[in-house]
Amino acid sequence: MSIDIYWRVGTHGDQPSLRRRTQSRGGFVDTPVPGRLAPGLRDGVPDGYSYADHVADVVRASETAGFVGGLLPSFPGTDDPWALAATLAQESRTYRFMVAYQPGFLHPVQAARLTASLQAATGGRIVYNVISGGGGPAQLWWGDKVDHDDRYARTSEFLDVLKGVWAGDFSYEGRFYRVEGAGLPKELAGQPFPEIYFSGSSPAAIEAAGRHADYYLSWLEPFDALAAKFAQVRADAATIGRTPRFAVRLDVLARPTEDEAWDEIRRGFANLSPAALRAFEGGGDSVGAARSRGFTGDPSAGFRGLEVAPNVWGGFHLLRGGPVFGLVGSYQQVAQRLDELIGLGVDAFILAGVPHLEEAHRIGENVLPLLARDHDITIPGKDEQ
Amino acid sequence: MTTVDIHVVLPTRPEGVRHGFGHLREVVRAAELGTLTGAVVPFDADGLESWSVAAAALRDTRWLTLAAEFHPGVSTPVYAAKVSASLQRFSGARLAWRLAVDLDPAVARAHGDFTVGSDRYLRAAEFLQIARGVWRGGQAAGPGGVKGGFTFEGRFFDVLDGGFAPPLSLMPFPQVQLTGASPGALELSAHHGDLHVFTPPTLAAAAELTERAAALGRTVAIGVQLSVLLREDAAELTGAPERDEVDFAGTYAEAAELLRAYAAQGVSTVVLDARPRIEETYRIGEHLQPALQGA
Repeated sequence: MSIDIYWRVGTHGDQPSLRRRTQSRGGFVDTPVPGRLAPGLRDGVPDGYSYADHVADVVRASETAGFVGGLLPSFPGTDDPWALAATLAQESRTYRFMVAYQPGFLHPVQAARLTASLQAATGGRIVYNVISGGGGPAQLWWGDKVDHDDRYARTSEFLDVLKGVWAGDFSYEGRFYRVEGAGLPKELAGQPFPEIYFSGSSPAAIEAAGRHADYYLSWLEPFDALAAKFAQVRADAATIGRTPRFAVRLDVLARPTEDEAWDEIRRGFANLSPAALRAFEGGGDSVGAARSRGFTGDPSAGFRGLEVAPNVWGGFHLLRGGPVFGLVGSYQQVAQRLDELIGLGVDAFILAGVPHLEEAHRIGENVLPLLARDHDITIPGKDEQ
Repeated sequence: MTTVDIHVVLPTRPEGVRHGFGHLREVVRAAELGTLTGAVVPFDADGLESWSVAAAALRDTRWLTLAAEFHPGVSTPVYAAKVSASLQRFSGARLAWRLAVDLDPAVARAHGDFTVGSDRYLRAAEFLQIARGVWRGGQAAGPGGVKGGFTFEGRFFDVLDGGFAPPLSLMPFPQVQLTGASPGALELSAHHGDLHVFTPPTLAAAAELTERAAALGRTVAIGVQLSVLLREDAAELTGAPERDEVDFAGTYAEAAELLRAYAAQGVSTVVLDARPRIEETYRIGEHLQPALQGA
């Protein structure tokens, strides 16, 4: 299997750099002012463009720069990944839309019908990022009453039903779902079932992942912690005779030289308020977020205090919304660290950088070509089909 | 000048050799260029899923209103609202909802929906209350998520401290279209509908709906949906084999007359189901619409 490299889409707008936490793209600020784009102002009037128009550009940039596709994250404040994928389905050729979703929110029959329709629209380019966790209060915000550990039981049942509906003529009576004679219409039958990237760091998640995941997806952590986590998933999966593949989601800040890369971080750090430095609270009952908190260094020691291993920096959450860890360094160094992760057993990456459009080009053009050639990297449109 | 908004029905399953997103995009573009008001994506158990179709159609247009029909069992109301908030942002607020409440029981069970009888209308009412409630009930987002001002404990759905924050909350909620002529259907519409679409034989119930809505201090617009076959003259119609299968077959002038008669009864929207869809939609745009407007 070759290594699949995805580039994230920002579903909560985007900022022009990590230097200031100012959203300028996607209308995520209340009042449109000059300099804000998609929607923007033209002669003082909204220009009729929406954030989907900018995301369409990120999608095309990612495709051009050599990524196989992109993750579309889902949180209470973001645009919805299904809506984005359905809106942009026709506007790329090889790009795979990795849709993040929580199983409880859609009925599995609807998820099957929606997915199969999008497979028809895209030529089979939908990928799932199944999220079961999230946070306690946030679950009730979504109108979801199921408890943390039960959510993984539901996820398993949801995926069983979804796969059953996909196969056709399916009846089922479970704890969470019941269907009778379900299947896809002739028009949609025979579409490929999406690959599943499965997130979650709790024991309940790892157990559920063993049954359903094509890829076990983790945020970046210090490499030894990550290796231990993979070993645990591998051992659990082995008990049911499965061999999981691993994916890591991380930010990359790469520049021609290491000094230039750290200088970007320095500028961003210098603009942080003391309140922002204290603001790393993590989210709800997510075990992954708590793990990340346990690994970070001390921000009061300056930005380099958060470099927990060479080029592994645990302060990205301070400079933009999202996970903690990423790589900071020269193009060469970042490529080397990615190679090391591949050496630990990583089969796929979801990379990200701010701003997503420009950094897709930078990383695609300058870092991906430096990855060691002893592993295959999937080249969009070539290795597949 | 008589104003009746004209919408067309989009294809969700193969029609002859035409099928899939390619066919439906052509029909959508025909309606857009034909300066029609909107299009409806039916909930079709044997066809494409309606949210995905509506999203694609919205992306291909800049004026058309797209009504996606779905039933309240497809998702939680919060999630349906969440998906819709993005589609409203991406489309300049052109999405409408059409709730399918009165499903065939076997179709419902195949979609995991075992709610029957009048409970279906109670659930639909909760669904709409919650979806509207979270849409405008929001507060600012925080690091762990958001905490909004909307809480609802219903028979079918619950929300605690829900509500969208800007910019999701800034768009108008989708127009709510409802159908059916049973007392339950009319009651649901009176409370929660924006537009109620009748079939021609049930249009007589419109007066009752208007009365029920007025008692609640509300107004519900009236629509009628019918299958049509339109040709330039009687000779052409005689030659068309489909003429006995439609609700109305007639010339452009006769169709305009019918629509004027509907308008005189208080109908504001006419949804036309016409095949072959690409050609008929162009005929509606180029001939029926000007005839209606007296051009």
